[in-house]
Amino acid sequence: MNPLRSLLDGFLRGVISFLLAGMVLNVVWQVFTRFVLKSPSSFTEELARYSMIWLGLLGAAYCSGRKTHLALDLLTANLQGKRKRLSDLFIQSCLILFALAVMVGGGGRLVLISLELGQTSAALQVKLGYIYLAVPISGALIAVYAMMDLATVVRGQTVEVRAKGDLT
Amino acid sequence: MSEALVLGLVFAFLLLAGVPIAFAIGLSAVGALLVTLDPAPAATVLAQRMATGIDSFALLAIPFFILAGNLMNRGGIATRLIALAKVLVGRLPGGLACINVLANMLFGAISGSAAAAAAANGGVMTPLMTKEGYNREYAAAVNISSATTGLLIPPSNIMVVYSMASGGVSIAALFLAGYIPGLLLGLSLMLVAALIAKRHGYPTAGKVGLGEAVRILWDAIPSLLLIALIMGGIIFGWFTPTEASAIAVVYTFVLSVLVYRQVKWSELPRLLADSAETTAMVLVLVGASMGMSWVMASANIPQVVSAGLLELTQDKTLLLLIITIILLVVGTFMDMTPAVLIFTPIFLPVVKQFGMDPIHFGLVMIFNLCIGLCTPPVGSVLFIGCGVAQTTIAKVVRPLLPFFVVMLVVLLAVTYVPALSLWLPKVLGF
Repeated sequence: MNPLRSLLDGFLRGVISFLLAGMVLNVVWQVFTRFVLKSPSSFTEELARYSMIWLGLLGAAYCSGRKTHLALDLLTANLQGKRKRLSDLFIQSCLILFALAVMVGGGGRLVLISLELGQTSAALQVKLGYIYLAVPISGALIAVYAMMDLATVVRGQTVEVRAKGDLT
Repeated sequence: MSEALVLGLVFAFLLLAGVPIAFAIGLSAVGALLVTLDPAPAATVLAQRMATGIDSFALLAIPFFILAGNLMNRGGIATRLIALAKVLVGRLPGGLACINVLANMLFGAISGSAAAAAAANGGVMTPLMTKEGYNREYAAAVNISSATTGLLIPPSNIMVVYSMASGGVSIAALFLAGYIPGLLLGLSLMLVAALIAKRHGYPTAGKVGLGEAVRILWDAIPSLLLIALIMGGIIFGWFTPTEASAIAVVYTFVLSVLVYRQVKWSELPRLLADSAETTAMVLVLVGASMGMSWVMASANIPQVVSAGLLELTQDKTLLLLIITIILLVVGTFMDMTPAVLIFTPIFLPVVKQFGMDPIHFGLVMIFNLCIGLCTPPVGSVLFIGCGVAQTTIAKVVRPLLPFFVVMLVVLLAVTYVPALSLWLPKVLGF
């Protein structure tokens, strides 16, 4: 596998696993402080929520790299040869368009506006701009993955799609 | 109106082209925004909706229930539940089939994943059934149809998703509303499975001695205690569903890793990463859908849809039937999470006009989509159920038919008798 790809995969896997474990400890601590210490902690709820935003967005990039996003492959599953390549090119281009225009462009603008307005969170006093930073970073990573896949398709190889179960 | 057109057409096109659903949703939403906004603000507002759409404490229950479920699936819980089910229903005709149904219901009451239940219980039960002379496809059909009860019996992740999509319906109330429909479906499936088994002369699973029964019950207590802790905690208001789900993680961790030792420490990083990946896949769908439902609301799309439906009929009974048929069709080809996220903001405002309770509608919608999980061409539980039974979809469809009929009958009952869903949450004060 491409070394950049495995590096990115490993890094993102580590970060989202850490965030998930942190979120569990966070909410458990919230219950503990309320029941045992009788003085509920004020920051846990916010920290858990913001961890989840980062988990969701960085994880979106991770899923993008591993092709585990849910998609409907009713019409595309049995494509072969040139049609398959065209379909892959189209799908990856859509990902790049969304990642760059909305997530990097729109998300970047969102970060700048929030920082300029100086909005901060209620309990942690974190600048909201830093929370929103997850959007453009995720967009950039999705674009990187999609471009690597695009290169794979252009070289004439196929992009493997892994089946990953839904919530159900 | 033109926004609705852009949104609908772009989404349908991208969906059919195989673009990941979250991105198809996002691109169609931004397309619809471009009808009235400049590109920069359109992209910014959607980016913001994606982040704030998942900024919710209630939504945290999803990653935690996923993690707890993954810890349990590898923790050997299925064999304990199957043993318990044998004590309770093993003596009925077609005992092994009835055991499979009950084990799926119990699994659902603990983990809330139909696919995991179908995999775990089907993997144990199908070989046993074929050995006793049961038809393999019948065994698969019993397992597949009854696995869906896990999504109705709480805890249920899809109900948390519905709560988000509906703008904050009480998760505790949804959970409680699921008990009676889930039990009704499970028991009806068991009845029909037993009747078919009797006609084919399939054997019972035999009697379990008293000493053995006591030992089995003792073994199952830690698992049953988890149900009591989660649902009891929510019902008595000790903690929120999110807190309950975090406690479920700790509880299953202690049980699977420290007590039963069926999950090794070295497996934990993998388990955590798998759970985080599933979580992210769901979260990005939720975020994109929140963006889309905001666009829909600002473009008055629910009003357009409801005006269209009202032109067709003014009759509540007929309207519900039309929505049911649409959802059944959607369920056959779309996964459940995106279907709930996309169709709740469209249909909920319509049925609310007719005075339907959002909790009741949530149950009806999830039940509808449960049937889709068992139908080709796209049915995750169907695929898994056929996989563990080592048979093909084409062969299972016919034996599944009687169970589809049962599911449809119970669905109609749940749709037209609101009390089946609403009585329990009401009695308990939710």
